[in-house]
Amino acid sequence: MTEDNFEKFLQQTAQKYNAPPARVPREEMWNAIQAKRAAGPHVVYGGGATYLIRHRFGAKVWLGAVAAAMLLVATGVGIGRWTAVPRQPVAATNPPPTQPVVVPAPENGASEPAQAGVSPTSPEGQVPRGGAQSRVGEGNRAVATNTVKGGAMSVASAPSTNGAASAYQLTAVQHLSEAEALLTSFRARSTADQQMDAQLGAWARQLLSNTRLLLDSPVANDPQRRPLLEDLELVLVQIVQLSPGSTSQDRDLIEKTLQQDHVMTRLRTAIPAGSQRGG
Amino acid sequence: MRMVAYESRSSVNDIQLITRVVAGDAAAERELYETYVDRIYRLAFRLAGDDELARDFTQATFIRAFEKIGSFRGESSLSTWLHSIGISVTLNGLRKTKRQRNREAPMEEGITVGSTKVDAEPDLKERLARAIDSLAEKYRTVFVMHDVEGYTHEEISGTLNIPIGTSKSHLFQARSKLRVLLADFAPEWVS
Repeated sequence: MTEDNFEKFLQQTAQKYNAPPARVPREEMWNAIQAKRAAGPHVVYGGGATYLIRHRFGAKVWLGAVAAAMLLVATGVGIGRWTAVPRQPVAATNPPPTQPVVVPAPENGASEPAQAGVSPTSPEGQVPRGGAQSRVGEGNRAVATNTVKGGAMSVASAPSTNGAASAYQLTAVQHLSEAEALLTSFRARSTADQQMDAQLGAWARQLLSNTRLLLDSPVANDPQRRPLLEDLELVLVQIVQLSPGSTSQDRDLIEKTLQQDHVMTRLRTAIPAGSQRGG
Repeated sequence: MRMVAYESRSSVNDIQLITRVVAGDAAAERELYETYVDRIYRLAFRLAGDDELARDFTQATFIRAFEKIGSFRGESSLSTWLHSIGISVTLNGLRKTKRQRNREAPMEEGITVGSTKVDAEPDLKERLARAIDSLAEKYRTVFVMHDVEGYTHEEISGTLNIPIGTSKSHLFQARSKLRVLLADFAPEWVS
């Protein structure tokens, strides 16, 4: 009985709970409904399927996808750069392809010229050859190959990282070119031409002083170039010391030095193809 | 005590009305609206306790109903289907509103909630309102629908998509809690 009384009491009293107004605002709500429907998709309570919610969700998805793509690209670039780092020193030690070092072929023509930084199987047409190269034929192929490697390393240091090193490099190349011209002239001269000996002696004296200057410069730090400059200094001293009345034996000694030390081959190896000679 | 008599309609009339609405008949839309708007609004108002919210929920209910009526398969009556939308819209809207109010409420107010002494609210109406508000959502919904708005357990079951036994159980739980909360007013119903 008490339970029934409580239910009746509760139902009577609960009628006052959130009692709605007697008049339901039908017309106002209907107008609002029509206006909202005319305005298009909108947010609806209760998780209704609204285009706006879908659009916002879709925008988030797209933003996430774009962010993921950017992260993926950034990761790929980072990995690429990280893995490419060890290659840079190797590339720096190789000679630039635009300045190949050409090894002159021996006179017997048995060997093809080698090109530093280029595979021996490279087409011959890619190897520039100078007129003097075909005239020189000293040393065997093995020695020439070693010289090429040394020359390649010397030339490789040509594109130094700073301007001073580039200036030294340019000076050294010009000096070696001039020395090559001197030695070629020396070997091609007439044995009885004493006036020529005097001119060559004056020329060699000038080159000798420059050679010694280069030996004291950073250019001589190159382990391949320093021995070449020292050998060149020895030959130049011998040429300077040639007196107008020197005998053929004196000149033969110089020629023997040139052949034994492969000075001409090493000179031409150290001079990049296409550089100005005898400047 | 039934405040609003349920406007019964035959399933044939519902089908015809739905067909017309799906076909884009504006008059049919208005007829559907006029038929059910009072009950939807009243239920929303009972649950929300606010006219503005009740209007928003009612409007959203019908907007959603007009959008989805093409997918209505007739597995339940049109009234049940429409009330299901109304309840879903209202409860979700109230949850959203509650979250917003909780965020906006100062910390001090949040601390004082629940610490009010019984003697501070001697009025039965206020005490009952607070007691009903303190019920869990599922109990409160069933209680409002059954004891306040007069829905049957069958209607509640179809609207909330719960078994009839669950509806009865929820109502029993709600009444039991309210009895405890309103124990101070026991002489009111004993007499």
